[in-house]
Amino acid sequence: MSAPRVAVLFGFGINCDHETAAVFNLVGGNSERIHLNHFVQGNRVLDDFDILAVPGGFSFGDHLGSGRLMGNRMRFALREQLHAFVAAGKPIIGICNGFQVLVKTGLLPGPNTSNPLPDFVQRASLTLNDSGRYEDRWVTLEFDPDSPCIWTKGIQRIDCPVRHGEGKFVMPSSTDFDALSANHQLAVRYVDPSTPVGQGVTDDPLPFPISPNGSMRNVAGVCDSTGLVFGLMPHPEAVYAKWLHPHHTRGSAPGPLSSDVLGEWEGEGLQMFRNAIEYVMSKR
Amino acid sequence: MAITRVEVTPKQGTGMRDVRGDVVRRQLMADHGIDVSEVRSITGFLIKSSVPSSDISERVNDLFSDPIIEDAVTDTLFLTSPLHFPIAPDAAITVGFKPGVTDNPGSAAYDGFRTIFTQDESLEDASISTYQTYIFYGLPSEVTAEWLATTLHNNLIQRAEIADGEACAQAQWPAIDYPEKPPQTRTPPQAMNLEIPDEELIALSESGLLALNLEEMQTIQRHYRDAEIQASRAAVGIVGNAPTDVELECLAQTWSEHCKHKIFASKIHHVDTETGEDSVIDSIFKTHIMKPTHDMQKEVDWLLSVFHDNSGVIAWDENWSVCMKAETHNSPSALDPYGGAMTGIVGVNRDILGTGLGARPIANTDVFCFGPPNWEGELPDNLFHPSRVLRGVHAGVRVGGNESGIPTVNGAIVFDDRYIGKPLVYCGTVGIMPRVLPDGRESHIKTPTSGDIVYMVGGRVGYDGIHGATFSSLELTEESPSSAVQIGDPITQKKMLDMVLEARDAGLITCITDNGAGGLSSSIGEMAEYTNGCEIDLAKVPLKQPGLSAWEILVSESQERMTIAVKSSDCAAFESMAKLHEVEATAVATFTSSGMFHVKYDTDTVAYLPIEFLHDGVPQLQLESEWRTPQQAIFNPENIVLGDDAGHSPVLLDMLARPNIASKESWVRQYDHEVIAQTAVKPFVGVERDGPGDAGVIAPLHGDPHGLVISCGIAPRYSDLDAGAMAAASIDEAVRNAVCAGIDVDKMAGLDNFCWPDSIESVKTPDGRFKLAQLVRANRELERVCRAYRLPCVSGKDSMKNDYGSGENKISIPPTLLYSVFGDQPDVRFTATSDFKGAGERVYLVGISKEELGASELSFMMKENGRAEGIGGQVPLLPHPEQNIKTYRALSTAIHAGLIQTAHDCSEGGVAVAAAEMCIGGRIGAELDIDGTGESSVWSRLWGESLGRFIVGVQPEHEADFIEWMAGHPLTFLGTVTASQELIISDGYEPLIKLKIPAMVDAWQNTLDMTGGVA
Repeated sequence: MSAPRVAVLFGFGINCDHETAAVFNLVGGNSERIHLNHFVQGNRVLDDFDILAVPGGFSFGDHLGSGRLMGNRMRFALREQLHAFVAAGKPIIGICNGFQVLVKTGLLPGPNTSNPLPDFVQRASLTLNDSGRYEDRWVTLEFDPDSPCIWTKGIQRIDCPVRHGEGKFVMPSSTDFDALSANHQLAVRYVDPSTPVGQGVTDDPLPFPISPNGSMRNVAGVCDSTGLVFGLMPHPEAVYAKWLHPHHTRGSAPGPLSSDVLGEWEGEGLQMFRNAIEYVMSKR
Repeated sequence: MAITRVEVTPKQGTGMRDVRGDVVRRQLMADHGIDVSEVRSITGFLIKSSVPSSDISERVNDLFSDPIIEDAVTDTLFLTSPLHFPIAPDAAITVGFKPGVTDNPGSAAYDGFRTIFTQDESLEDASISTYQTYIFYGLPSEVTAEWLATTLHNNLIQRAEIADGEACAQAQWPAIDYPEKPPQTRTPPQAMNLEIPDEELIALSESGLLALNLEEMQTIQRHYRDAEIQASRAAVGIVGNAPTDVELECLAQTWSEHCKHKIFASKIHHVDTETGEDSVIDSIFKTHIMKPTHDMQKEVDWLLSVFHDNSGVIAWDENWSVCMKAETHNSPSALDPYGGAMTGIVGVNRDILGTGLGARPIANTDVFCFGPPNWEGELPDNLFHPSRVLRGVHAGVRVGGNESGIPTVNGAIVFDDRYIGKPLVYCGTVGIMPRVLPDGRESHIKTPTSGDIVYMVGGRVGYDGIHGATFSSLELTEESPSSAVQIGDPITQKKMLDMVLEARDAGLITCITDNGAGGLSSSIGEMAEYTNGCEIDLAKVPLKQPGLSAWEILVSESQERMTIAVKSSDCAAFESMAKLHEVEATAVATFTSSGMFHVKYDTDTVAYLPIEFLHDGVPQLQLESEWRTPQQAIFNPENIVLGDDAGHSPVLLDMLARPNIASKESWVRQYDHEVIAQTAVKPFVGVERDGPGDAGVIAPLHGDPHGLVISCGIAPRYSDLDAGAMAAASIDEAVRNAVCAGIDVDKMAGLDNFCWPDSIESVKTPDGRFKLAQLVRANRELERVCRAYRLPCVSGKDSMKNDYGSGENKISIPPTLLYSVFGDQPDVRFTATSDFKGAGERVYLVGISKEELGASELSFMMKENGRAEGIGGQVPLLPHPEQNIKTYRALSTAIHAGLIQTAHDCSEGGVAVAAAEMCIGGRIGAELDIDGTGESSVWSRLWGESLGRFIVGVQPEHEADFIEWMAGHPLTFLGTVTASQELIISDGYEPLIKLKIPAMVDAWQNTLDMTGGVA
């Protein structure tokens, strides 16, 4: 069986395309970095791929709001292709700037369950961190075990770096959050690392820097109601190996004890990408 | 075309906040102690287009405002809306750009505008300008709106409209208008008569900002007297017996100190008044830097390309090579800290992209030297307060690096009063490239041939950046020109970078270099040396605005441009690739073998210079150097009164709070140091990820732990005693830092970046001989140490005019060498960091503490506090570097062997500070005894900065093996890491320091945290 094909978008200031492509390849994907304009101009078609990744970066310098201009390019030029991609049951991930792009296009959190396919209506936003600063720091994340998200299956808690200035997830009202929460679409949240695993999630705002940005309900990432489209601010690809964890020199980097890819050195972030590859394989 | 105004402001409501306003509020508190109750913000767009306002208004939420978090109005001022701003504020200030200044949000908005109004052809000429309005409530009465405005903008590049309390009460709001550029007319090239007296030649050079001396002007004069030259010029229809303004400007750029490094290339008559030495040095660069490296190149197979390219290239493994370059951007950063620093970082990124056939930048380093951020003394005219320089430079480098997707993995910030006169902004970049391209060419060798088409790729040419190279070759004055300042545009550059690397892999590039100092004049001029000629048509160069004269187009340093040569058969493929990436690429020249740098404007020849004259015609400077040891009052710590029990404890807290030692975390955390997913040792380490990292370690090939180490060393304080010692210390510190991370000392390379005050004797610089002697000594030490360490200098740069003003008010920086090291790390899973790892760890000092307190951080602190007379005494020396490197090799291989995981360089503040930092990183105590660490005084063993030292921690199970491994090297047992939260240092039975870890953390972290918190 051929390896699932992964389109990793780049161009216009996306800058995590190399590592995002690499981690998919590490877990059995066949990834390709493709400039957005290849899809816009029709040189390439999204339909040829099994997975779409929108990596992190600073598309268009985050001017006019992070992800806005890139989101517009996709919303206006790739609307049909994106709709068809999700309708075909294919997974999409947006990381950091990619998450911002997916939120601004309206792909995340997307419409409710009665009609789950993309309608390209923006329902949430990611705005400036409460601190007012772009920061690179490590956070602890916990995942909703009941989420329909195909990307986060079986992942409980991981350490990850965040690297953003606009990561505060907001929605207009608390009822919007209640609806997402009921659907288990608030797939990943910032948690206090001192809490027992599985008990970290809380709706009450956590203090800086446990929540690095002041996100409402401590949301770090959300999925759409199909569970196929997922976005998050932290960078799981940046901890694909334990040697990227700040504590590896202390001999205490968390992660699997063994792996077919990196032996005892697989990092906690890789499973998310393996989940998507395995999901695609399982549907064949 | 009409102008439509759109204004956007954050929604108010539960959980929403106006972060831009809040940042201003917090900075006023942090920098000036001014407590304002609330600041709100409005972002404005002035859209010049043929699209009717009503159409724009309908689409406002699609582009200008985010309907979830923002409100917008069209064709009105938000301040007039009682719904949004019900109460009259105490001040409202609008800041916009001056005409012609790079407006990145405006350009992005224009791009988005085209996405939405895509069908309209007339949009080609549309443009968008942006501004910010800040609205202040609860402003203390003593704070004026005029003063507030000066803190919010730089009038060199921005304008401000101000409404004070009275104006606000009367609803007279600031309404900034579109920054229309006055039309410019192109001046045709003119002949410049050089048949004038010498004093007029000098006047011409000065008035034209040419920065050429009399001999250089005379050399040019002679060139045009040559009958053969005159005849050849007549043949192409250019004025025969005089240069055109284009030629004179081109020569001034090419021959500038900035481009030609005339001081490093000069013939120096050196006298040492103490030893009686009287000798001549024919080029410091060739003698002390190039020759040693070339000698080393004969002995190793991994030095692929040194000196001649934009960066030095070394082979890293079978398939990949790595390169590194560091630059300074001091003068522009003094005038506009934000823009100057940003162009510094994105500029050095282009040096990497322009190396060989194109390397990919993968890591940045930033080293800054500033005046003290808490400076309360007077400031000379036209200079910013150091805290503002720090904020601006930091923001520029942050935006430049982060938006380019290049991690900042290493750096330093150094403080000294004299950097008020000129901040130093060093920006470095590491690059990687496949050693062999898909088409079989070796990537580090450029392959241009006559007939290749030369493209200008990326940004357009404008008035910004005219005379940058010559300007940086002059001292800063109150009249320094604003055209020398530019603001970088990282996204335009990122698009170009993506495209260029794709073109490289497709085999489309035969030659590439960046457009930095001297613009097209330098970039095409330098590349034309390969084929011995070129023909440029300036009329083809795309411009930001019409009206530039030929010489301006040729020498403008407008940013984000590469010059790339392509075979004529590949032009179509190259152009279509550029189009896909939305990158402008224009064929502007052709390589020839005519021997001439031939510049046309359309069909007219405007410059016709022999390549040889252009590049080798500059006469060698003859300079005088005279050394005498500076007289400094001796630092005698024995007179300092201390408390009875562990009396050095308060000294340690004071030292940890010194800006030179204090944590820079709040600043460095704002750099992305992990993009590319390769950073294995980050700038901060330890339990709470806030202990100091000695060096950056990256593993750039995903899935492979093979690593690279990047480190730096800088020690300008020592120049007050001996610039030679300063240079040795800088190199040794860089190497020690790299050793802590496990560099392979047999495969490392270095970069020398000199920043010096003017060292040519003149009326302006009466002590030029001494300053030049400092340079001589620094370079002699550089050669001695680098030869002993077998550490080749593969690239470097010098900035030789770091002074402000003249006469009594002159401020000259301390001579400063930044030494950067990059090299192989065999396996990043085996590295060491500074944090103590756990109780029971055995602690050793590697190296010996000597009686060397001269110019130490301790001496400077005690002198500033009035507790000591001076900083003089014995400066740290490196008498036997060939012994040091053996110790370093042993230590580094012990790290590779997994014997130690804890190592920290011992430098500023000596053993005491290093040990404290290791406790902070590990959040754990230690009990150490400095008895036996050297034959020197307690003060020296505790605070001295003797070179060649490390503190290492060893797990008890590896202790015996480690001791055996280090046999024959200086190694002293210091003590043990304890489960307590206390650092205890004693000298035998005498307690010196006894401090709780949290107290040390507070002292170390608070000084430079100028964020104003998160509240």
